[in-house]
Amino acid sequence: MSKDETTHNPESKTGPTRRQFLGTAGAVAGAAAVGVSPNKAEAAKRDPKRGGTVRFATRADSRGLDQHRNYYYYVSHPLAATSMGLMDLNLKMEPVPGIAVGSEVSKDNKTYTFSLRKGATYHDGADVDAASVKWNFERILDPKIGHPFVRAAIKDFDKMEVVDKWTIRCHLKNPSAVLIPNVTYYPMQLMSPASVANADNHPIGCGPFKFKSWKKFDSTVMERFENWYETDAQGNALPYLDAIVGRPKKEDRVRLTALRTGEVDLIDNMSYADATGFEKKYGDKYNTWDVPQVGTGYIGFNMKNGPMSPKNPHGKLLRQAAAHAINHEAVHQAIFNGLSSSAPAFYSKVSPWHMPEVKRPYEFDPDKARFLIKKAGAVGEAIILTSRDAYAYMHQTGEIVHAMLSEVGLKVQHEIHPYSVLKQKWQKGEFHLDSTANSYRPDPDAWYGRNVYSKSATTKLRTGYVNEKADKLILEAQQTLDKAKRLELYQAVELMVNEEVPMLYTHYIPLLEAGVKSLKGYSPAFAGPYSTQGAGLRASWMS
Amino acid sequence: MASTDLQNGRRSIEEAIKPPTLAERMARYRLIMQDALGELYKSKTALIGALMLVSLLIVLLLTPIIAKYDPVKQDYTAFRQDASAEHYFGTDRYGRDIYSRVLWGGRRLVSIAIFAVIFGLAIGIPYGVLSGYYGGWVDSIGMRAVDGLLAFPGILLYLLIVTLAREWHLEGFWNDLILIFALGFAFFPEAARLVRSSVLIEKQKEYVEASHTIGESNLYIAMRQILPNCLSPLIVNATVRLGFVILIIAALSFLGLGTPPPTPDWGADLSAAREHMESNPMIAVYPGLAICYTVLAFNLFGDGLRDIIDPRMAER
Amino acid sequence: MLIYAINRILQMIPVLFVLTVVVFTFVQLLPGDVIDTLIGDEQAEDPELRKALEEEYGLDKPIYMQYGIWLGKALQGDFGKSLITRRPISVELFESIPATVYLGLVGIGLSIIIAVPLGSIAAVKRNSATDYAAQVTSLIGISIPEFWFAIMAVLVFSLHLGWLPSSGYVSPFEDLGQSLYYLILPALAVGFRQAAYTTRLTRSSMLDEMNKEYVDTARSLGFSEPKVIYKYTLRNALIPTITISGLQLANLLGGTVVLETIFAWPGIGQAIYLAIIDHDYPLIQAGILVLGIIVVCVNLLVDLLYRVLNPRVALN
Repeated sequence: MSKDETTHNPESKTGPTRRQFLGTAGAVAGAAAVGVSPNKAEAAKRDPKRGGTVRFATRADSRGLDQHRNYYYYVSHPLAATSMGLMDLNLKMEPVPGIAVGSEVSKDNKTYTFSLRKGATYHDGADVDAASVKWNFERILDPKIGHPFVRAAIKDFDKMEVVDKWTIRCHLKNPSAVLIPNVTYYPMQLMSPASVANADNHPIGCGPFKFKSWKKFDSTVMERFENWYETDAQGNALPYLDAIVGRPKKEDRVRLTALRTGEVDLIDNMSYADATGFEKKYGDKYNTWDVPQVGTGYIGFNMKNGPMSPKNPHGKLLRQAAAHAINHEAVHQAIFNGLSSSAPAFYSKVSPWHMPEVKRPYEFDPDKARFLIKKAGAVGEAIILTSRDAYAYMHQTGEIVHAMLSEVGLKVQHEIHPYSVLKQKWQKGEFHLDSTANSYRPDPDAWYGRNVYSKSATTKLRTGYVNEKADKLILEAQQTLDKAKRLELYQAVELMVNEEVPMLYTHYIPLLEAGVKSLKGYSPAFAGPYSTQGAGLRASWMS
Repeated sequence: MASTDLQNGRRSIEEAIKPPTLAERMARYRLIMQDALGELYKSKTALIGALMLVSLLIVLLLTPIIAKYDPVKQDYTAFRQDASAEHYFGTDRYGRDIYSRVLWGGRRLVSIAIFAVIFGLAIGIPYGVLSGYYGGWVDSIGMRAVDGLLAFPGILLYLLIVTLAREWHLEGFWNDLILIFALGFAFFPEAARLVRSSVLIEKQKEYVEASHTIGESNLYIAMRQILPNCLSPLIVNATVRLGFVILIIAALSFLGLGTPPPTPDWGADLSAAREHMESNPMIAVYPGLAICYTVLAFNLFGDGLRDIIDPRMAER
Repeated sequence: MLIYAINRILQMIPVLFVLTVVVFTFVQLLPGDVIDTLIGDEQAEDPELRKALEEEYGLDKPIYMQYGIWLGKALQGDFGKSLITRRPISVELFESIPATVYLGLVGIGLSIIIAVPLGSIAAVKRNSATDYAAQVTSLIGISIPEFWFAIMAVLVFSLHLGWLPSSGYVSPFEDLGQSLYYLILPALAVGFRQAAYTTRLTRSSMLDEMNKEYVDTARSLGFSEPKVIYKYTLRNALIPTITISGLQLANLLGGTVVLETIFAWPGIGQAIYLAIIDHDYPLIQAGILVLGIIVVCVNLLVDLLYRVLNPRVALN
């Protein structure tokens, strides 16, 4: 598939090159140019041999249908296949042209002009034109509607200008070099303005699959969108599949059984204990995939108040002690069954933002930890460790960290809570350590800018870390187009984080999928989305 | 039971209302105990249940001596090991000794179950007795409130109380207390109804009227005279309830609302072992068997007691 | 009978009132509020937005007024919208309650089909091997944690034997055959457990009936033994069985949350459980109220049915 290899180059000032324009827009753009009304069905025929329906079982169910109100980890929910944004993502986690086929950024990094794909439509047939994109962004920016995670991606918008039907210009309040990754299909999904009244019941997006029905706890049914713009290397229309049916099956054992009894074709989130040896035992019947860099587990410290914070003159000693107390190999074996890998920095090897030079400054050394705790005069200090209930590895890591910290002389209380409760604990500062993880941060600004930058709402809510030097570097990186230069800046930030330990990275979280052999062409995408350029369910078929 | 007959009809009114002396009372209790043991031999189920319970209690009492390891101590050199001389039941995912966890977990779980049932009875009995004894609008209001709680579908009442407890930051000992409260509170409406219906029958008997005529206080009549005659169905119910409480705790653990780790808990351990069902099934077997054994023992014992106490069920 | 029924229906009103007050209180006691659920991390500090939302959701009013407004709307069938999915709660309930009722009804039906023959054979062949086998099976049935039983059933019947699908739901109105096919496993999990209670009850009420005078009379009149037992005794013995099954059904609504989670059954138990976890306040309130109404109605029907089947009770 040649077009998939032509990726957007983040260093380029003008965004996608002409080659990409022609490659991705393909026949549609050509048709538009000679004034023929773009009819995708005629322009690209389906591959006659590829089709079918994929039934997949997920751990999580969608929690609502309105794409702008968006909930956590939406990207791994079945509905992700129904949406598209100005930018798409490829398998290398880089933003590539989606609805926008070209972008231009002004010299001062404050004005972005996107040229839209002519002929792309919403599922109700309406054009994805500049006015509708503007409407979408405005709706997202409404604090009563837009989910904060979504809204934060474009909160710097000053005004939007519809230049012509296929061109939209966005003016930013502050210069930014990171707008492109922020307008990828997640979180910036586009929905048909005409469908807004029914957005909670029947979302109408512009993604590769059309929403058909959602029954809570039961099924999400999506059908092939016949006017989807993407084609394969031979010019056949994508997606191949006629339909996809998502079924939430929360219990790991049941999900795996459903795959093995042929009730579903694909499952996500295999338990680590099951995954060990699965390929050896059942590799002849099922394919297994290790989803690349889905997330990074870490221990966040309360830097706002309490014994671990800078308010305590020995706070840093205690954080270092905690870092020394944690036996990463034990976590690796006990919780991930040896499937994870140790994380000295946020981005793993598969990410373009991996930093091989960054090493863990505080290795496992319980004696040192005991010494530091004594030095800080904190032997027997009461510490609250929180973790989230929804993901087993988070509270299991909490459980093991609880034992390790108790071992070196702290008096730890471990609390497991749902997100709704944790949020309040963070707000009130009623915790000292928090076992958690983060994922879906394709661009480093989304990680450092949200979770390290001291003025971001997430940082304020959670760790409350303040480091002016790091802030400066993050702001500078936000305005730097050169990728190598940005990486350098972020690496400097990462070294500070590792040294001061407001957060202690633990492991790259493995995410495992398994599917039947007759599912062809499937390769799982970043953070498990079912929709990735030239991959996921968009490019697979049943034989 | 024989002692019941003795009280109910055959004694004169004088005798019936005369408060028993201490010696008399002790003698009566001795009689009841002898009676009980004698009865126990007559019901095989009760006997088996009792033997199972006694052996369980002995093991749990001896736990501090026979448990080899600290139940929360993790061992990073011994993850998920099979049974061995070192670890009789093997180790779990954190390298903790399952044998020690099962023992300590049982001590805690059985205590919680017993206290929860006692708590439920402590509210339910006076509530039911007074409601039934006074009747009229007291009874109406009292029973509507109980009905309101009974209308709480299934497990949801527990879910609400336990969620509240967790969000109120109650952990460790307090968490156990709140479990006791939740489980006991959910039992009280049932206990209250049961007592009330016995009281309604009992209060029409002549000894009650006799007490009234000589001017005994209502409270005295209700709690000291009527109540002892209404206890038998309650005892059966409470015994069966003990087993039920243990299962509820297990269900709460499955839903993530049970005992927070690392405290050993059969339900939580069994629930956590789900992941290993195909790779290391033995991790699940021991806490699972412990639950089954204990619940079965309570059920057998309760069942047998029912046969003994309920004369209609007499199989002699 | 009619007067009794009307009286009972009137008594439901205070019961439901108690239920609403309890639920409303619980929801108030949960830390945080609607606004915290609605807005995420990044807006937590914006006082103006908070104020606007408080007004929109009526949270600026005193609590008793909030309760009044909520109750008033609820009485008109308007429960508002879910804070999470933002769909009308009536839709959410309408989607999930039928699945639970379906599971409960078939589960209870299965339990009766299992329990009545088992219980009556056990009674007729009292103290035989059959009797003990029936008793032990039924006791084991209620001694296993339900989630464990369900997962084992999936592994055995679905994975290893390949007879039944592991999980999922098909509406009976779409395809009755498929629907039943998917229903068997969860319904068995419900039914086996409930059958444990019902078997024991059937057995004891059979024994009870068999000791009655009319049985001897019938025998002395020369009726054949099977006729005596199956025509007269069993019929009378079934009355308490049916009553208890009705009450079990009421208790199952909302009590199947564990099974719903395992079998991916889109029922109300899961919905309310997740609403509690997510702090979806309006859904918790409405869900428990509607389930409570159903429970109370089922109880009423059972009560009336009992009186129809057993006229002696009515005379008392």
